[in-house]
Amino acid sequence: MLGPISAEELGLVAIHEHIGYGMPGSELDTKWWKTPEERYEETVPKLRKFHENGGGTFVDATGICNGRDIDYYKSLSRKTGVHIVACTGFVGGDTALPHFARASVDYLARHFIHEITVGIGDTGSKAGVIKVGVSRGGRMTELDKRIYRAAARAAVATGVPILTHLAIDARPAIDIFNEEGLPLDRVLFGHVDDGVNAESTPDTWIIEQGGRLGFDTFGYETELPDPPFWARPRKDRMEHFLRFVQGGHADKVLASADANCSPLGWPGVKGHTVNYIFEVLIPDLRANGVDEATINKIFVENAADFLSIRN
Amino acid sequence: MTDTTTSTPTVNTVLGPVPADELGVVAVHEALLSVVPGAEHAYDISMDRAEIFEVLAGKLRDFRAHGGGTIVDSTGMFHGRDVNLYEALSRSTGVHIVASTGMGPEEMLGGYFLTPQTNPPTPWPAEKFADLFTKEVTEGMVVPRVERRGAAGLVASTATSEGMTATDESLFRGAARTALNTGVPVSIRYGKDALGDLGVVLDEQLPAHRIVVGGLDRRDAAAAGAPLEVAQRGAFVALDHVGLDDDDAYLTDRERAALVLDLVKAGHGSRILLSSNAIGVAKGQPDYDLPFSYVVSKFVPFAKLQGLSDEDARRILVDNPRDLLTLR
Ligand SMILES: [Zn+2]
Repeated sequence: MLGPISAEELGLVAIHEHIGYGMPGSELDTKWWKTPEERYEETVPKLRKFHENGGGTFVDATGICNGRDIDYYKSLSRKTGVHIVACTGFVGGDTALPHFARASVDYLARHFIHEITVGIGDTGSKAGVIKVGVSRGGRMTELDKRIYRAAARAAVATGVPILTHLAIDARPAIDIFNEEGLPLDRVLFGHVDDGVNAESTPDTWIIEQGGRLGFDTFGYETELPDPPFWARPRKDRMEHFLRFVQGGHADKVLASADANCSPLGWPGVKGHTVNYIFEVLIPDLRANGVDEATINKIFVENAADFLSIRN
Repeated sequence: MTDTTTSTPTVNTVLGPVPADELGVVAVHEALLSVVPGAEHAYDISMDRAEIFEVLAGKLRDFRAHGGGTIVDSTGMFHGRDVNLYEALSRSTGVHIVASTGMGPEEMLGGYFLTPQTNPPTPWPAEKFADLFTKEVTEGMVVPRVERRGAAGLVASTATSEGMTATDESLFRGAARTALNTGVPVSIRYGKDALGDLGVVLDEQLPAHRIVVGGLDRRDAAAAGAPLEVAQRGAFVALDHVGLDDDDAYLTDRERAALVLDLVKAGHGSRILLSSNAIGVAKGQPDYDLPFSYVVSKFVPFAKLQGLSDEDARRILVDNPRDLLTLR
């Protein structure tokens, strides 16, 4: 947000998080409104704690029409010392508003490239990652595919990586990336651990193709007092993750909590923050015998390798 | 927002309720700032407020110079509506501005309404739209995530051109309920079937005289006799592409004038509204740069040459829109 930094400076990275996410149109419903005072009050302590816990970089995976707010992120970054990486792209076709939903692959690619190389709006800040995703329903729509193809072209042109929302229906996605000549290690197939879709996500196959896996909904657990519909038992998610971490794929996985510091168009999940990474996830990994070098690999080295702009 | 201490009929403008008799000549179906949702984020579209203000102020002054009194921005709550800008424009130019709530067609909605974060992602029903739109009248129009301001004076919706979708129907029913809850009128732009789409709103028990049906100068509707039938049901008939003379899908101005005269002759002079669907400033879509004054300065004089009486002209330009917009 505050300009390019060297990969060595990223530190521990939360690879898929949200300062605040809302579906497009939720800004019209006063039910979700909060004052700026409330927003900062909910957000700053979480980021400060993230920093104190040793967190270096917060990747905001909020798409273009979902309440992404660059000036706000800049102020948060400057005041808390946390590097914030913003994305271009869309969470899924169903979050792209009509101007983009009607656009050609070529236009979408130009838009993404502009946000990566020139800047986002008039903020001067450049996007560091491209967000794409599968619409509700779990099958890639025609629009989802147009966005994936545009993202692939932008990734090839700029060297910035792609982060996906959901990894189900991975075949058409990988076909598109291959057709556009994008090496698959530039793609993090996210939410492979999500409670609704994990069963039907071809995680092993994605790794075989060369993709990276994002176990990035840690903390959305059925153990919560009021779990969201995508929650999953903590133990199941951890076992799933360990199968890859301890099965020879530690260099292909990333992990995050997909938490909202201050949700924009939904109630959020009370008590779930980015700091789950420090408070629960890393201790759990240690308890399961994962050594410090591997933990460092997942949260620092893999993230740096993924986020580094590759020309 | 209505003044309950007197019985003076009023209209909701962006600067507050105005006595209905003060509206003057009204253009009911126009767009001030019209932004295709999402275009405000586009890398190649500038949103220079000062420039937008200057262009709109110039057009509103031209409208006023030709006898115009009131512009209705009928684009709803999610197509570039900017309440603060409209307040400043109204103060600066002296033109009354009525802003609208409502949304549609389905394609123009945000995902919040179509694929909400619930399982399954069921689109919004009529009742939720009614609540959202009603509050825009009773509590004020939203400046997203910042504040509410003045009351909406109209609730507008549009159906998908290939035919009304289930969500379009929810929007139409929600708009009708908003009108019943608040006393503002409903504007609909039909999709494929003018009478069928009007029927959805009437089915909510909203009296026909609280509804304006736009787009009745579309060639297919005119050929099917829809303008006359809509008038017979008691709704307002908006011939609202005045000045659009080179589009095969719409009547020419000559044909439009003939249709006006036919409706007057059939006794429906009190149901006719004329407007242009001009766009003051367009973002994310082609400009449509017709002056807001076109109806009053060009078309009505032409219709008079074709035989429209001064009395009927005045009725169409002043009385009918006043009757529509007056809070009931
Ligand atoms: Zn996310």
